[in-house]
Amino acid sequence: MALVRIDGLHKHFGSNHVLKGINLKVERGEVVALIGRSGSGKSTLLRSINGLERFEDGLIEVDGERLHAGQTNLRDLRQKVGMVFQQFNLFPHLSAGQNVMLAPEVVKKLPKAECESIARAMLAKVGLAEKFDAYPDQLSGGQQQRVAIARALAMQPQVLLCDEITSALDPELVSEVLAVVKTLAAEGMTLVMVTHEMRFAREVGDTLVFMHEGRIHESGAPDTLFTRPRTPELANFIGSIH
Amino acid sequence: MNDISTWDVVRNLLDGVLWTLGLSLTAFVLGGLTGLALLFARIASTAWLRKLAKAYIEVFQGTPLLMQLFIIFFGSSLIGLELSPWLAAALGLTLFTSAYLGEIWRGCVESVPKGQWEASASLALSHFEQMRYVILPQALKIAIAPTVGFSVQVVKGTAVTSIIGFVELTKTGSMLANATYQPFLVFGLVALGYFALCYPLSVFSRRLERSAHGTRAH
Repeated sequence: MALVRIDGLHKHFGSNHVLKGINLKVERGEVVALIGRSGSGKSTLLRSINGLERFEDGLIEVDGERLHAGQTNLRDLRQKVGMVFQQFNLFPHLSAGQNVMLAPEVVKKLPKAECESIARAMLAKVGLAEKFDAYPDQLSGGQQQRVAIARALAMQPQVLLCDEITSALDPELVSEVLAVVKTLAAEGMTLVMVTHEMRFAREVGDTLVFMHEGRIHESGAPDTLFTRPRTPELANFIGSIH
Repeated sequence: MNDISTWDVVRNLLDGVLWTLGLSLTAFVLGGLTGLALLFARIASTAWLRKLAKAYIEVFQGTPLLMQLFIIFFGSSLIGLELSPWLAAALGLTLFTSAYLGEIWRGCVESVPKGQWEASASLALSHFEQMRYVILPQALKIAIAPTVGFSVQVVKGTAVTSIIGFVELTKTGSMLANATYQPFLVFGLVALGYFALCYPLSVFSRRLERSAHGTRAH
């Protein structure tokens, strides 16, 4: 059974119909890259998966946790879904270690010592073991984003959502973040990512989903999509980014 | 009546200062607690709670403090409650203070970037956990300077309570002015008393504002 199942998802922003009936299945361990022009609905789709965007119609299911239109109790679902943002969104008043410890301590109510060892392990995983006591404003953008990944991983999510996580980074810092994501993918983490890094999407992604005007226009294996796009819109999109 | 010495005047005024200070502290503490409740109501997900808090704030910010005191003082006796001037003054100033503090603090909470809400929500924190661990610690830093600044308004606001007969600094001053026929001296001293209470607060507020801008965010 698919880990993430999205069925007939519809979403409006006012009169703007941004998601027009999305169906998508993500298997455990699969890496899905959402691509498309801005305004195609890819970020909105991603943000719907953990309830940051409401939707009017359809169903989302993650590892048995169902999310209906208008549902307000999201705590169980969100414990299974981690998210990393374009702007990092680290908590500036907490150190890197405290950022990572917060949710295990507050949400999972684990003992403090255990949270600290989880946080140290997660920071080590993203190559920042020595930055436990550093505050976000003492870290580079790439380091902040790696702390944000560690923070999401500390909750042991079943799936990790990545929303353009390298778009706000200086070019020389992109690779250190992508390297972490690549390691996660290799370890079998289920990933759904919105990205503009096409080479990365092609290299790491198992499935490429091309969104166009609120619909999944085309999807499949990255190599197939890149070399033999079936629709003129995808061909056009690929042409415009090369 | 001129057997009242200057020392008597000063001694009585100092007594008045204490009552003004007591009333200010009471209003500030109780108003702060009520203001905190208002803040939570104002950003609650329940629509009627938000509207109720908004209406409360509109009423107490949109009418003069004097009218609020009259209505509480005379209104309470209409429904058979005999509130002492002290109680009426404390109640009136508390309501007034809470409306302003609630609104000042809401502004501070709303100045915390939306990404902080989203990041903490995606970590499965509940609304109260988000407020307690992520939003309020950041909002508090922004709130300190305007809150201390507003406390000056509370101190000066206590003067109005003299009209319903609460004997604080201003009321003490007018009684002394009538007795000594030296209104200029007496009210000069009264003004000095308020200044002595307010000036340190505004200096403190300015200093906090500078340090909040000058230092790092933690």
